[in-house]
Amino acid sequence: MLPTLKGRWLTRILLFFWIGLPVTLVFSIYIATPESPVLPLIGWNYDTLPFQILFLLLIVGLLLDPVYIHFQQYRWERDWPFAFQFFFSIVEFLIVLALVWRGALDFTRSPLDLHTPENYLLFAVHFACVFIPSFLALLGFIQIFMIRWRFKGGEWGRM
Amino acid sequence: MIKLPILLDIYQRGEGPLKRVERISLPETGDYAIGRLPENQIVLDAPEVSKHHAWLLVREDGIAIADRGSTNRTFIGDAEIDRSAWDGALPVRIAQFEIHLVAQTAAGAVKSSGTQAQATRALSGSAGTSAQPSAPRGQSIEVALNAPGAPDEIRFPRNIFSESIVSADALKAGPYFAGECTYLSVGAGLGSFVWADHLRIFGVPKKDIRAIGDDVIPYANYQRLCRNSQIPPHERLRSNSISTPDNIWGFPGYASRETWRDLKEFRFSGLKHIFQVFGEASLAQSFTPRSGDVFRSIDSEAKRIGWREMYVSGRVLGIRKTNDERYAVAYRISEEQARGGVRERVMIGKYLHIATGYPATRFTGDLQAFKARFPEEARVFNAYENHEAVYRTIEQNPRAATVVVRGRGIVASRIIQRLYEARRKNRSITIVHQMRTPVGRNEGHRYKRAQRYVYNHIENQAFNWPKACWGGEILREVERATPEERAKIYEAIGGTTTADRRDWRNIIQIGIGGGWYRPVFGDFETLELVKTDQGPKIEMRLRARGNESAAEVVADFVIDCTGLIGDIMHSPCLRDLAETYNLPRNPSVSGDKTGGIGVTPDYEISALRNGTGRAYAAGQITLGGPQPAVDSFLGLQYAALRSADHLAVLGAPNISLFGPLRSFSQWIKWCTNLAP
Ligand SMILES: Cc1cc2nc3c(=O)[nH]c(=O)nc-3n(C[C@H](O)[C@H](O)[C@H](O)COP(=O)(O)OP(=O)(O)OC[C@H]3O[C@@H](n4cnc5c(N)ncnc54)[C@H](O)[C@@H]3O)c2cc1C
Repeated sequence: MLPTLKGRWLTRILLFFWIGLPVTLVFSIYIATPESPVLPLIGWNYDTLPFQILFLLLIVGLLLDPVYIHFQQYRWERDWPFAFQFFFSIVEFLIVLALVWRGALDFTRSPLDLHTPENYLLFAVHFACVFIPSFLALLGFIQIFMIRWRFKGGEWGRM
Repeated sequence: MIKLPILLDIYQRGEGPLKRVERISLPETGDYAIGRLPENQIVLDAPEVSKHHAWLLVREDGIAIADRGSTNRTFIGDAEIDRSAWDGALPVRIAQFEIHLVAQTAAGAVKSSGTQAQATRALSGSAGTSAQPSAPRGQSIEVALNAPGAPDEIRFPRNIFSESIVSADALKAGPYFAGECTYLSVGAGLGSFVWADHLRIFGVPKKDIRAIGDDVIPYANYQRLCRNSQIPPHERLRSNSISTPDNIWGFPGYASRETWRDLKEFRFSGLKHIFQVFGEASLAQSFTPRSGDVFRSIDSEAKRIGWREMYVSGRVLGIRKTNDERYAVAYRISEEQARGGVRERVMIGKYLHIATGYPATRFTGDLQAFKARFPEEARVFNAYENHEAVYRTIEQNPRAATVVVRGRGIVASRIIQRLYEARRKNRSITIVHQMRTPVGRNEGHRYKRAQRYVYNHIENQAFNWPKACWGGEILREVERATPEERAKIYEAIGGTTTADRRDWRNIIQIGIGGGWYRPVFGDFETLELVKTDQGPKIEMRLRARGNESAAEVVADFVIDCTGLIGDIMHSPCLRDLAETYNLPRNPSVSGDKTGGIGVTPDYEISALRNGTGRAYAAGQITLGGPQPAVDSFLGLQYAALRSADHLAVLGAPNISLFGPLRSFSQWIKWCTNLAP
């Protein structure tokens, strides 16, 4: 897929709903609860922190997309290799981590609770759980459902 | 005015150079029949020649050639003809024969006492020799005329297609009617196949689709062009992993299939294909599939969708709108298939699709003239013709040999690579690479902010167009542009080029270092055959643009890699269609005088719209339109998808809108090899 700006945004939103939210939901119920690593579903005990991270990732991504598109203009092929996609996804995550570090989420809970090494480890595991299936979807699984997507620069819908 | 008698030389192509088999003399004006059977005046005895192949029409004011619906058709030079005047500048080609008009002033030929019977016997003798004692070489046999009168069969389909709108009822009551269907494709090559594949997967049953063409194997024509231009089955093609004519989703691509196959046999090197896709085009060289793998995958998909049942063998001669909002396609089947019955047929379809591929092979004028002057010297070839003889000669004779390669497209790159391989057997092969103009490091084409990179005077990109022509920004920009803006974009992008392959770049570097590769710039002014102590060679005078002095190049062979002709006027059937309905044409792209047939972004030929009937086109014949890379697997897939979607929105029968669920369930069927 050779992305356009609108296509980047729409694909991001698509992956947010298809993969990001469900994975985060499962993740926050089973793993990221403060009490226990594997908590029974009873009581719907879950942590909102992974959702906040996911949201931050989405916003950072949407803001960076125009920058990527700008650099794409200097490439003769006007493409964006998978390797770039991979690399910049990790950069986006590092930016999110830096933002959290600088207090972007401090308004949600006490900083003492937030800035623990365990939390940062959880962020990384959570990111991997969202990123790997999203990347595989980009590699081709989206096409199985949306055959026009690859020609439309990542936009959904009909021609 | 012509001068009688007309002298013709007939040459036959075998292995190696053309051999003259006969000189014949036509004493009077009239219609001379050419064909395989002895009842013709000019007998060409080979199975590829039809029983009644063509007419040679000699009139006071000139000579004309008319094909009689032959199976393998008649050509003047490289242009396929239906009926055309013949001035003798280029030979008439029929199967492995070439008919040359001997210069009209060379009238000193000895007239033998031969009769027509002797003449035909002389020609129908064993291949390649003029065994007839009464017709020694250089002498002529006089051919008498015995079948005057306007030949009937050359009139089809003009006899039924004289109007621009024809009556469907009349056709159905007539002798040619062969059936009707909803979806009818012309060409039956890869473009037709991909279109039919989409329709089948979108829900259309086999019985509603027909594809008329020369060969039941959809890639037959493509494979021939590949083989001649040195891409055997183990060589890799020029498209990427997700250009999959056998799979409308492009997933799994050829790279993952190849990796999977390798891994199953514990060949872990197979993983590199996945890494190639991951890193291309910046960190790794682009993945390209092996041609054999692509052909096998198409075979299997053809079986799955029932291609054989949809295929109709025939050569399409004309297309007309009908008065009941449909299209009539006139075609002719081969003698073998007709088994003595009527060969002319008409089929009527509601939705028409035209994908006839390249109309002709390009042969630049100077080379064509050389070939016509020295037909027995097999020295000048188009890269798309069979030219194995060149490699055989230079590999087997340890003598020094120079080969001129013309052009800087992808085929030129491959031919240079092939010559590099030949150098393993003969170290004294040298390559002269002829290009029009030099291109400096920073002189590549510019489009918007980007510039195409140049190596060794050759512009490079990952494939033959920038990648975003297949989807993404450039495709969208071209699609939305007006025809004038499009022309500017095409000019800026600068047509197709060779692919960026490290091995190709290295070969040139090694060649420059080793002194056996030399680029030259300019056009050849003259090509002469000279005799040297190492045998005959071609001597060329090369003049660079704006340069006073001309350089001399002496070579053994010239291989012209400047391509195939996209001009639809070279196809008699398309020409008739374009003229009858005044079809709008696209701006020209890469050298051809005019572009292809104008189509909408849905690939509809709107000028052919017939009430509720619709006509679509795909492939090279739409060049210069809403998509740059029309002549590629993925380009054909995109065109097919667009037109299938368009038909679905129109409410054409049995075509679904193909939403995510249907797409997924059909994909599962593909994976499990179940019929759609
Ligand atoms: C050497 C070469 C290599 C290429 N490599 C690649 C590649 O690696 N990847 C890629 O994506 N693209 C490649 N292409 C480009 C493109 O994919 C092929 O040219 C492809 O075959 C085009 O499909 P088509 O249907 O337009 O034409 P074709 O496959 O040639 O089919 C057209 C068919 O129509 C028939 N026909 C024509 N006129 C009539 C008539 N009047 N009546 C009946 N039948 C008729 C012809 O006989 C032919 O069988 C390559 C092209 C060439 C020449």
